[in-house]
Formats: sequence, C-alpha cells, structure tokens
Amino acid sequence: MKLPHLIGGLEGLDEVPLEYEKRVFVAEWEKRIFGIHHALLALSSTLRNSLPGYDVDSLQTSFRGQWTAAHLRQRMEAVDPISYFQFRFYEKWLSVIMEYLIEQECIDGDGLASAVERFTKDPDRPLPPRPDQEIDDHVIRYLRQGDSPRRGPATPIFATGERVEIRNPPMGDHTRLPGYLRGQVGVVERIFEGNYAYPISTGADGLGVPMPVYLVRFERSELWGKDVEPLAEPLFAELYETYLLKTTWKDRGDDE
Amino acid sequence: MTNSFAYPDDREERNAARVRALEAMLINKGVITDSTVDRVIGYFESEMTPLNGQKIVARAWTDPDFAQLLLQDAPAAIAQLDLPVGMAGVQGEHLAAVMNEPGVHNLVICTMCSCFPLPVLGLPPYWYKDPAFRARAARQPRTVLAELGLQLDEDTELRVWDSSGHSRWFVIPSRPADTDGWTEEQLAELVTTESMIGVALANSPSNIAR
Repeated sequence: MKLPHLIGGLEGLDEVPLEYEKRVFVAEWEKRIFGIHHALLALSSTLRNSLPGYDVDSLQTSFRGQWTAAHLRQRMEAVDPISYFQFRFYEKWLSVIMEYLIEQECIDGDGLASAVERFTKDPDRPLPPRPDQEIDDHVIRYLRQGDSPRRGPATPIFATGERVEIRNPPMGDHTRLPGYLRGQVGVVERIFEGNYAYPISTGADGLGVPMPVYLVRFERSELWGKDVEPLAEPLFAELYETYLLKTTWKDRGDDE
Repeated sequence: MTNSFAYPDDREERNAARVRALEAMLINKGVITDSTVDRVIGYFESEMTPLNGQKIVARAWTDPDFAQLLLQDAPAAIAQLDLPVGMAGVQGEHLAAVMNEPGVHNLVICTMCSCFPLPVLGLPPYWYKDPAFRARAARQPRTVLAELGLQLDEDTELRVWDSSGHSRWFVIPSRPADTDGWTEEQLAELVTTESMIGVALANSPSNIAR
C-alpha cells in the first residue's frame, strides 16, 4: 500500500488550511528539474515505439534508459509518506530523478555529491559548454508531438450503461486505480475510442498491454456515505478495462 | 502537525545547488546539451500557457457548434484554432473538455499524481498538486470549493472528474453575465486557470479592470 494510491479521500486533513498557491513554480530552481524531466522523457528509449516515429538511437546522447511519466509516477509513489507530505512537488521530483539516474549509472553518485558541494559554494558557477542543435530540436519536436498510448481499435467487453464492480488487485509499485474505488460499484458512462497501452507493465495490477478505457460514474454518497456531503452527485474516473469486473450487484443505492 | 516537519535552513540554496549539479553532470556525461533545459522551459513558458485555454473557452462561448465539437472531440475542435503547434503534444495527446451550464458545475482533480492538460492550461498551479487538496477534493469537494471561495448552491450538481486514465480534462466555465457583444479577445481575459479546472467561476466584467 502506497500513500499516493490512497490519497483520494484520505481523512484528517480538514483542519489544515488549504494552500491556495497559484504559482506554478515557487523557486527558480524548480524550473530546472521540470526541464530535466522533460528532456529525459524526450530521450527515453521507449520512444522507439512511439507513434510519431522518433529516431532516438541516432541522437548523440549517452542516455539509453527508459523514462516516461509512468516511471516518474512509480518513483513518486515510492516516496515515504512523511516525505510525501513534507516536501514540495518539485523537491520530490528532484530526489527521485537523481535516484533514478544514479541507479541507472547514468551519473555517478559520488561525482554528483561533489558537484553539489561545488555549486553550493559557488552558485553562479557556469554550466559546462556542450552545444548540439540536433538534440535540442528533437526534444522540442517530442514536446510538440507527444507520445500517445493509443494502440489499435477498442475491444470493449463492457457496454455503456453496464454496472461494473471495481477490482482490488494487489497493490504493487504502481497503479492507475485510485484506492478509494477498489471494491466499489459504478456504471460505464462512456467507452473511449481505441485501446490504450501503458508505458510500463504494472504486473498483477494489470496495466501494460493495450486495452479499452472506460469512463465510469460513481455516486459520491456511495463512496463516502451520505453524511460527508448529502447531495446525490457523481464522481467520474477513467478506468482501464483490467480494473473492471462484471457484477451481479443491481441497485445498491435502493437497499440502503 | 505539519509544524513537526523540520527543514534545513538552507533548503532552497541546497535544492538549487542539487539541481544545478545534476544539470551540469548530465551535460558533462553527454546526456543533454547546455541549452536543452532552457529550450524546454522556454517552450512551456512562451507557447504552452493558459492563454491557449482562454482562447478555446472564448471560442466555445461564441460558437455553439465549436462548443459541441469540443465536448465530443476536443482535439479536433482545438485543431481548428490558430494555436501554437503542440496542442496534441506532451500531456495533450488526449484532451477532453467538460462544460459548466446552468445547474451543472465540473471540477477536475488528479488524486494519484497531477495529470494536467499542459498545452491548454500550462503547468499545474501548486494548489492542484497539494496532497491535502487531492485528498479532500475527492471526498468533500463542495466543502473544499467553499474554502477556496466558490459557494455552489444546492441546485447545482457538482461533477468531479478524477484524471486516472489517458485523458487530460479541462472545464469550460459558464460565460459570465453582461458580456453580450464582447469579442473573443475580451472574453478570453475573463477566463482564469482556476475556472478551467473548476475551483472558480470565470471572472465577471465587474471584477476585472476594464
């Protein structure tokens, strides 16, 4: 069980005033890790299979690892719960991306530590020169064209209007099934066109191979109880087919 | 409780040094160039901004056919507009819109991470990524909206969208009253990022300086 899988609906936070911080970066350095993350996305070897057709192997980059939004999420989900609340969004990005690159032996941990000391003593120390227009142009092309996970026509086994039960697969390193929906019953509102792959296999959780995605409607009074917010109102989630089960449950709301 | 967290006094300086060191190492190791990070930042800061979303909403307010297409096939509708190349790029591959109307208000959240339609809305504001917001907005969204200054009346249905799949959702807020005859450019100025996520309404003519 990982905290980010279970954040939706987590209680005990009512007394903490919401921080309505509208800025997208609260420190200049945050922009740099945002940029590094997107550069790694653009250089990831997973783009070999991308629909726009990126020739990542021809680029003069030493990065041959796999880095997608799924890899970032998986590592963010591995952050311990105390740090998850303690540190800002981009502080966590910085830590997990450093950790990944060291694990990949893309950069050397000791070397990085000494470089941090050098930049701490001399923050204005210039970056080393290394021009390569081709890499930068590729990165921008990737940002403009993206990496759609859509693969092939939809092959749905559920129908619009059908009542479905949400599975409760073992919680591994990564999932796209919010914890608060496990075991709940919803109604298929819409079937998306096409099947959708996921950049990594999530093992027993079930993602990876292309599959249909459904928009499923839940009633918030069923998810949380009528005492929380009494009005009958929906919550919609987009769920991959592996998370859905046929159900014999009929009208649960009427039995209450 | 959050007071029990201790942070080093040099938190920001340290983080700045860490990220600078990381970038320098990646350049030295031949992963990226000395301008890659600046190019990425420049792309998002100059082209992928909420201005795109503002123009999309303003067109939806003035062109019902466009609004209909936007709801049915957001990428196709957005492709009709003169917006920067990249609206279907990173985190815009599968854009989807929902529309507020009398009696219906929509709120987009991402409880597990921070999925966001970058080409339409730019980068997510900090509040959207806050774990406390994500936790509470799923369970008690009316209460959360009220705390953020938006009191919804009981006759208005609040629909919550948890971005757990491939789509990146955004909200078309309701067109404010007293804007008859306004041009799209004028209308676009009323549209805020917060209104396109659903924690606020679009500005009314009286609360912006004209």
